[in-house]
Amino acid sequence: MLSAPLVLAASFAYLLLLFGVAHFADARGRSGRSVIGNAWIYTLSMGVYCTAWTYFGSVGRAASSGLWFLPIYLGPTLAMLLAWPVLRKMIRIARQYRITSIADFIASRYGKSRALAALVTVIALVGILPYVALQLKAISSGYALLTATPGEAHGGGPWWRDSTLYFALALAGFTIAFGTRHLDTSERHEGMVAAIALESVVKLLAFIAVGVFVCWGLFDSPGEIFARAAARADLKPLLGLGGESRFTGGQWFALTLLAMLSVIFLPRQFQVMVVENVDERHVKRASWAFPLYLLLINLFVLPIALGGLLHFGPGGADPDTFVLSLPLALDQPALALVAFIGGLSAATGMIIVEAIAVSTMVSNDLVMPLLLRRRQGTRDLSGTPLAVRRVVIVALLLLGYLYFRIAGEAYALVSIGLISFAAVAQFAPALLGGMFWKGGTRAGALAGLGAGFALWTYTLMLPSIAKSGWLPTAFMRDGLFGLALLRPEQLFGLTGLDSLSHALLWSLLVNAGLYVVVSLARAPTAGEAGQALLFVDVFERSGTGAAAAPVFWRGRASVAGLQQLAARFLGAEAAQRLFANVARQRGVDQIERIAADAQLVQHVETQLAGAIGSASAHAVVAGVVDEEPLAPADILRMLDEASQVRAQNRQLESLDKLKDDFMSSVTHELRTPLTSIRAFAELMRDDPAMDSEQRQQFVALIVAEAERLSRLVNQVLDMAKIESGHGDWRNEAIDLRELIAHALQTTREAFRERGAEVAVEQPDAVPLLHADRDRLLQVLLNLLSNAAKFVPPGRGRVVIKLSSDARAATIEVRDNGPGIAPDQQQYVFEKFRQGGDAANRPQGTGLGLPISRQIVEHFGGRMWLQSVPGQGACFGFDLPWHHEQTAS
Amino acid sequence: MSTSLRNQRLLALFAVGWLLLNFPLLTLWDSGVSVAGIPLLPAAVFIGWGVLIGVAAWIVEARDGDGDG
Repeated sequence: MLSAPLVLAASFAYLLLLFGVAHFADARGRSGRSVIGNAWIYTLSMGVYCTAWTYFGSVGRAASSGLWFLPIYLGPTLAMLLAWPVLRKMIRIARQYRITSIADFIASRYGKSRALAALVTVIALVGILPYVALQLKAISSGYALLTATPGEAHGGGPWWRDSTLYFALALAGFTIAFGTRHLDTSERHEGMVAAIALESVVKLLAFIAVGVFVCWGLFDSPGEIFARAAARADLKPLLGLGGESRFTGGQWFALTLLAMLSVIFLPRQFQVMVVENVDERHVKRASWAFPLYLLLINLFVLPIALGGLLHFGPGGADPDTFVLSLPLALDQPALALVAFIGGLSAATGMIIVEAIAVSTMVSNDLVMPLLLRRRQGTRDLSGTPLAVRRVVIVALLLLGYLYFRIAGEAYALVSIGLISFAAVAQFAPALLGGMFWKGGTRAGALAGLGAGFALWTYTLMLPSIAKSGWLPTAFMRDGLFGLALLRPEQLFGLTGLDSLSHALLWSLLVNAGLYVVVSLARAPTAGEAGQALLFVDVFERSGTGAAAAPVFWRGRASVAGLQQLAARFLGAEAAQRLFANVARQRGVDQIERIAADAQLVQHVETQLAGAIGSASAHAVVAGVVDEEPLAPADILRMLDEASQVRAQNRQLESLDKLKDDFMSSVTHELRTPLTSIRAFAELMRDDPAMDSEQRQQFVALIVAEAERLSRLVNQVLDMAKIESGHGDWRNEAIDLRELIAHALQTTREAFRERGAEVAVEQPDAVPLLHADRDRLLQVLLNLLSNAAKFVPPGRGRVVIKLSSDARAATIEVRDNGPGIAPDQQQYVFEKFRQGGDAANRPQGTGLGLPISRQIVEHFGGRMWLQSVPGQGACFGFDLPWHHEQTAS
Repeated sequence: MSTSLRNQRLLALFAVGWLLLNFPLLTLWDSGVSVAGIPLLPAAVFIGWGVLIGVAAWIVEARDGDGDG
């Protein structure tokens, strides 16, 4: 036995440790060095799945039915295999739309329905409250066993002397301190998550410690336990599946399915897995590491159960307490205390997270809607959501305590674990269906959930209450109104199933059936269709920035009205910050100048959703804006617009990249001549005795490079001018024959040096063309000097051909140079992409051809290149006689 | 590895897991034989469970080229 003060001191010291860890993690989180941004912490926080019910109860279950405790953990293992496709999608949706609870998730999917949010909250509350009571009972009876004060186990003493009450209050304090820190519940509770991860480690280690003690301390090895159990007729069945009933397969299946759904839909699981998730990629690690955690914590369940049964003999001790009573019976008080702390961590972890999750739901989806109905107007409510949440947490724990005091050992409490699971399993059709099927409607979800919940109540909850003696059992024996078909555990005459499988079958069947049938009865409204798209296609509609997400809203709103609304719920300061941010993002200098468009309305609503839930946020925003109803066709149109915006964004991005490439090319091209100029200048500076001939040569090189530099700068400026549409264009009558003659005159020296001959083929007369003579000359000179550069020295031949037809004049410049490879041809008109590789390409800026093409295109013509490698290149352009002068 | 391939593998593993850890395949192990002192059924379930976890770890932790994978 341990002294009561010792156990109490250890327990409260443990709670203090939790406070310390949570405080540390919160402080780290605030200073930007989060400790929870880690896949292992995320995985451990999921361990909140293992409550006191499993910590103590698994052994009890194993002691009575062998391996039948396992489906509760195999289900989550299977569920986690699908975590990457399914859970990641839930996380993405919740992140995108600031969803903070499972009620919010379902309500938001079906057009932000308040009714649906309230229904989900009620189901969660009814299912979870007794579960909280069960945790308190586990703490209480563990404490009683440890200190040998049996009276307290059943809440026998006066309430003010019951340490369980003070535990409950301490937990409420912890939850309020670390669970209601921010108004915005979509912000993570770092301290809470860190504490929960620690609790998962503590309970795992404590349970393993007991297991190791039983296997190798109490007995010689696990083998000995199994061998001795196999030798006993009453224990042998526990080593197998037991029972020859033909329905055991169905029950195993039902339990697995139930646990599979619960691991996602229990409010505490949704909280740690979805709301508190820091990074989607952590799901990868968790999808195998969390099952591994479950495997480890279950490894010693069967040995402990069998060991206890062997040690105490039949009826010797309650198997639910073996984890504590075995160390106690063998005079290992320290180990017993460790085991108790492990159980305490399992219970407190569950209570804390469940309290946060449920209080968010109750506050956002039950209390706030009522408050809002009563207090319309503009009063500041910014403190209200937090205050409500805190009150709900205290109330939840006190109600749990009350339930525990009243129910005590009753059947309703002992069996509540699976009953709770069955309650939250009702969320499955509406939630999973809503994530993958666009056709689900609000009416379908309401019908399915309502019917599922009613059947759950009738076939599972009421019988458990009746078995506790609080209801006459007549209705179970004879059915409601004496109708045998309505017997709750053999509904419509379905017999042969255990009560849980029976209830699960009926409730899920009717739930899913009504969800589908009612949904299909009519087409979704615009609101539902919009939300369906946002949920089902979340991966297609997120990631490229919030601006790209479609906004299904049309109407009139005022910035002042929205700001006032935000101030009412978030506080004036936070609202000011919110709108100032929007103003900055949109590049306007004053909040008043923000356009009150659909995006703004959506943004404000999403921000409010983090504080008061999406259904309430939608309702209050609808109160201050003038929304026009949408038709399904509008949704499609808005979707189109959104994808256009996305396409434009992508285009802008690629333009941005082009500009960057251009800048880097320009600097590169400028650096080359600058480097030579500097090198030659430095040579001359460092060698005053350099002979004048060499000096002259260097100076000539410097001049040439400087010329190239200025040509380059001019061309870049030219290019920029043309591209931006600010070029000066003259419009004069030009005789193209004269223009060609002029160009030839200018380039004659270049051709002569190269030893190339130039021929001109042209008609005797061509009409006058209206264009900018200097620009056209620039084009022609560019083509000719290019040709001069590329023809083979000494035997070059260049042909200029002018022709004209009714539409346009065409000029071609053909050379007999090496030609341009087909894969290079597409690049010659791009800036800085000279033909050939960088090593042997001739001097040039790489801007000549792009500028030429711009000029030709300015006058409505085209420029092209025809070339077969080895047979020369032919650059040509045409200029229409008449074209619409562009505005520049 | 592409998301689609990973998802298909996980889905297949999920199906295998359902079959392996459920009736009627579970009854195959319920034979009363012991392996190294441990009855076959619990040993088989825990080993099967562990293998499932190992394969899942291999599938999800595989390096991917596309980042989103």
